[in-house]
Amino acid sequence: MQDALTIAGRGFGSRLFLGTGKYDTFETMRDAVAASRAEIVTVAVRRIDFDAPGEDITSFLPEEALLLPNTSGCETADDAVRSAKLARAGGLPDWVKLEVIPDPRYLLPDPVETLRAASTLVEEGFTVLPYVLPDPVLAKKLEEVGCATVMPLAAPIGSGRGLKLRDSIRIILEEAEVPVVVDAGLGAPSHAAESMEMGADAVLVNTAIARADDPVAMAEAFRLAVEAGRKAFLAGVMEEQEQAAPSSPVGGTV
Amino acid sequence: MVVNGREQELAPGETIATLLARLGLEAGYALVERNGEPVERARYAHVELEDSDTLVVARPVAGG
Repeated sequence: MQDALTIAGRGFGSRLFLGTGKYDTFETMRDAVAASRAEIVTVAVRRIDFDAPGEDITSFLPEEALLLPNTSGCETADDAVRSAKLARAGGLPDWVKLEVIPDPRYLLPDPVETLRAASTLVEEGFTVLPYVLPDPVLAKKLEEVGCATVMPLAAPIGSGRGLKLRDSIRIILEEAEVPVVVDAGLGAPSHAAESMEMGADAVLVNTAIARADDPVAMAEAFRLAVEAGRKAFLAGVMEEQEQAAPSSPVGGTV
Repeated sequence: MVVNGREQELAPGETIATLLARLGLEAGYALVERNGEPVERARYAHVELEDSDTLVVARPVAGG
């Protein structure tokens, strides 16, 4: 696999993770996942409502994709650990997208509880991908307790505002020794490309694709943007210059 | 027995596996917590349920 993304020893050909929330139908979600070529897709874990059980989402997801259960809805470390253990015991992978979010307005993650949960989950044998505010000190601590990635948010979940926290993410990219996945707030393929050009190892996208007029076409657009951004990063993006520099010869004009 | 906050009749010799089948949940992932402890999927057929049990039955759903 050329230029594979490696997380916890496992290689992935795609650097685009997809969230499965907010699609109008599971059929559209399935087609968007296919168009994105994502190999990691997130799911949430919820109690079954026996009055309206609905369809089984996993039957719409590709068998070869890694199902990444998140701990959304958990407001404390203890809740998150409980949710992750339930998912693993029930046969989902021992990978977890760790989210501990006590704040319903901006959906910002709790750094103290996230670190506490991460530490416990790593000890319990999980591969932990924590969702965090882009705090470089926190990112380092999460790495030190054994997290497989860090997943800093670009802007609040579902806001589509792009890389609002660019400078902090840049510091994390400089310092991290684990893959960095920019997660949340990316609204357009250009935001994803920009993240990748900066050196992000991957991005996670949900709302921007699921709520597009044509989610399947948007999934493809994000795939192309992630590929373009990655290629540009590897090719070496030029430094910004203060002044103009002519692209054509200065002398010999007719 | 209480399942997801609701009283549920227990069939004779009921296991987690037979309960899930009765609820139409034998396919896909049913994640089960019994009295606060997660139950390994491989044990569903072996765990006999009791009247005093409290179960949480969850599953993967759409999420980001």
